[in-house]
Amino acid sequence: MAECVKVCTANFGKGAQDIEVYKKLGGYANISDRLFNMSQFEVIDYVQRSNLRGRGGAGFPTGMKWSFVPRNSGKPVYIVVNADEGEGGTFKDHFLMLEDPHRLIEGLIIAAWALGSRAAYIYCRGEFLPCIESLNKALNQAYAAGYLGENIMGTKFCFDIFVHRGAGAYICGEETALINSLEGQKGQPRLKPPFPAVSGAWKSPTCVNNVETIMALPWIFSHEPEEYAKMGTPRAGGTKVFCISGDVKNPGVYEAPLGTPMMTMINDYAGGVVGGNLKAVLPGGSSCAPLTAEECAVATMDYECLASMKTMFGSGAMIVINDTHNMAELLNVLGNFYSHESCGQCTPCREGTGLLHRILNQIVDGKGHDGDVELMQSLSGGFGGVTICPLSISLGGPTSSYTAKFRADFDELIAKNPEHAKPRVQENYRPGIFW
Amino acid sequence: MSNYYNMPKLPTENSPKVEIFVDDKAVMVPGDTNLLEALKAVGIETPHVCYHPFLPVSGNCRQCLVEQEGPRGRMLVIACYTPVAPGMKIYTPASSARVKNARKATQEFMLVNHPLDCPICDKAGECTLQENYMEAGQNESRMRPEYGKNYHGNPAHQFVDAKGQVRGGKHVDLGPRVLLDEERCVQCDRCVRFMRTIAGSEQLQLAGRADHTYITTFPGEKLDHEYDLCVTDVCPVGAMTAKYFRFQKRVWLLSHTPTVSMDDSLGANIWLDHADGRIYRVMPRCNPEVNRSWLSNTSRLAFQNFDKNRLPAMDVHTPAFGSGKVALVAGGTCTMEDLAAIRMLKDSLGDRAEIFGGSLLKVGTPDGIAMSGDPVANRAGMKLMGFADVADFMKRASEFETLVTVNADLFGEDPAASSVLEKINCRVALTPFDDATAKKATIAIGVRHWSEVQGTMVNSLNILQKLNACPVCPDEKLEPAFQVLSKFAGCKLQSAVEAFKKVGEYASALAGLTYDTIKSTGKLLEGGEA
Repeated sequence: MAECVKVCTANFGKGAQDIEVYKKLGGYANISDRLFNMSQFEVIDYVQRSNLRGRGGAGFPTGMKWSFVPRNSGKPVYIVVNADEGEGGTFKDHFLMLEDPHRLIEGLIIAAWALGSRAAYIYCRGEFLPCIESLNKALNQAYAAGYLGENIMGTKFCFDIFVHRGAGAYICGEETALINSLEGQKGQPRLKPPFPAVSGAWKSPTCVNNVETIMALPWIFSHEPEEYAKMGTPRAGGTKVFCISGDVKNPGVYEAPLGTPMMTMINDYAGGVVGGNLKAVLPGGSSCAPLTAEECAVATMDYECLASMKTMFGSGAMIVINDTHNMAELLNVLGNFYSHESCGQCTPCREGTGLLHRILNQIVDGKGHDGDVELMQSLSGGFGGVTICPLSISLGGPTSSYTAKFRADFDELIAKNPEHAKPRVQENYRPGIFW
Repeated sequence: MSNYYNMPKLPTENSPKVEIFVDDKAVMVPGDTNLLEALKAVGIETPHVCYHPFLPVSGNCRQCLVEQEGPRGRMLVIACYTPVAPGMKIYTPASSARVKNARKATQEFMLVNHPLDCPICDKAGECTLQENYMEAGQNESRMRPEYGKNYHGNPAHQFVDAKGQVRGGKHVDLGPRVLLDEERCVQCDRCVRFMRTIAGSEQLQLAGRADHTYITTFPGEKLDHEYDLCVTDVCPVGAMTAKYFRFQKRVWLLSHTPTVSMDDSLGANIWLDHADGRIYRVMPRCNPEVNRSWLSNTSRLAFQNFDKNRLPAMDVHTPAFGSGKVALVAGGTCTMEDLAAIRMLKDSLGDRAEIFGGSLLKVGTPDGIAMSGDPVANRAGMKLMGFADVADFMKRASEFETLVTVNADLFGEDPAASSVLEKINCRVALTPFDDATAKKATIAIGVRHWSEVQGTMVNSLNILQKLNACPVCPDEKLEPAFQVLSKFAGCKLQSAVEAFKKVGEYASALAGLTYDTIKSTGKLLEGGEA
């Protein structure tokens, strides 16, 4: 395991929740004349050169996202930090905010300068009470130290940060649903266009960024952007905070450069698989397709490699699964989660996720039938790209890939039903009664 | 979310035409609308559930999918939210198996948790789901009973049926006029959007999420609004039902007469749905210029009194109009034909007759939906025909010796006026109802109600609209008011067509028009504003 530069997790365990400690560790050094002498376009160019990509899951280039925000719409520009970390297996933002809240604030000041924004909202998942406490404490300190509020550091620049507590819906991690929820409406994704960059919170240009994306900014600005870009792959710069969980010896949050081989992550960082042999890995959270052990051996943790393997990098949440688990049972857990968290707008997602979950329940309960797997595959095919947001694909994708890669697990459970070969009979079908 | 829900732009006659490619064929469509309306304009119907032309787009049913050629290849998009762009390439099920399958899949999902109780559902026969199923679905069910259903509904209303299945709430009382069948709801959001954007009173809301979403009012609140019965119209399935029509008649047994509501001077366009010689319900008839698809409860429920308290037909001779001054007063529900006949009567009586029109009721303000607030439906028509306001008559009532009221219940409208009116010796009332004026009249003559006559009216927007006769007249011997009046004038008009010719003679704005030249949505008269 090569020693890696720590971009986001450098202050972990050093008590950086306190502003004095954070400053001693080099914090808030960027909030200086150097930043305030740069124009907005120079800052955005700086970020673009660093090749930073969004760390929330979609991996959209951050500098490009910022450049889409209109400058002269006559409306305020809002920055919204997506801290509604709900994806199964992801827990990085929780620790980042808990351990190093000032870095988020510093990053936000840089982002606000780049976007000409007056206010930012941190939409934090409601369950993260310690995080919210830590953030609020840090905000108070930052206001007292003059990094936030009116006329920051004696300039004309004014900037406020508000922490908003979500109510615990997975879908509020989708940016337009998050904005709806922030506005006090039902957390349901909006029709697009218009995209939030043009018309987001309160119909104003809004930039929604993940916590980790914002927290990478202080490091980038205290170094050269090329230095950050160099650490990653050609198309995505920098390091990534990975959350490794599941059947590993040391589950936890690890920072590593993009492009690190998957087996290095599992064996060197997380201490190897425990309880059995490696069966599968979900490389980017619960909604991505699993990789089999053979695929894991060649996979590297970056956007391109995983996309080429028909899965996704997502939020960098690796869930390691050993061979004592039945994948059908895992899919049933996912079905339970997604059928409960669907917002209820689009028909395929609203009805389909529940139906898939009920079929999976039958299989897991030993009441499955031959043809159930084919039916699930066919049903999940009806999800693809037809809904407002990608939640339906978050279950549809895994359903297709689990059943394709681990078909034996499903068949094993279906075979437990003594009547598994019984054909489908139409309910109330009584031949000969009517004619 | 109303700010983010956008009203669809509907094509008009003046829409610029642009060329798009549908299934690789070039067609000219209206350029300023959405794809769904554009395809409709060239005769391609797209199945849809949540889209309604007069409600903001919410795009949640995903039934109107089409394929669009884009920079990243062919993408499935919803036709209701895709604006028409020149040169765009669209693929419908006619050429694309992917679209066909996607629609079929959506259809299947839509029916997963929907009860198949069409035989006892009031909406059967005019249900969007049924129509879509015949068009896009027609699939053999792939479900097993073991998979179960998760019927939509409020947990408080759920019950377990004889088979042990948990069912959603049935006949949930939403308010004084509307019942909700929770398990039939397909979460299209139309009623919520109607109450939010059109009625302007957010009384309905979708609660919960995923397949346990259900429609509800706020706790302890009722759905009670002047337009609340419109939610039963916009409901694409049988979830929202009107109490007055529930289980009254299968809709395919109803005949429909297109006509105009004479309760209000906006003249909301309506269908009179009738069978067995009676009206069963009144439905709004779409007219983008007038009432769009909306109808107030007042206009909708008025039909319940159409056949009550009626005057019988009687064969009357021309009454003696004496030698003094005669006041001819037309009420608000007089058609243009009635007004022409009153003019004929005035001409026959000479200078001693004067004509007045209107009512003694107060004039309200337009509500911006489907009511102008003016109870005199044909006020604009009266102006065209040279009628003075009835207020003039009330000031000078003592001058007159004879009063002829046509559909005008002056005694009923203002009881205080009766002392003045009773001083007039000869009071002739032509009215469908045995109302206060008929009771006080020296001669009361029964005539047909406006729902039973053919005719025309001019609404407050100066649009000439057609009324059609609904065959529900309680007594076939009853004659329309214009026939009785023209008989008094000595020249009986045999038909409405003949009467309408007379209208053209008296009102130059209507000269040369015939019934055939008036469209079903009416004809804007010159000098009016659209």
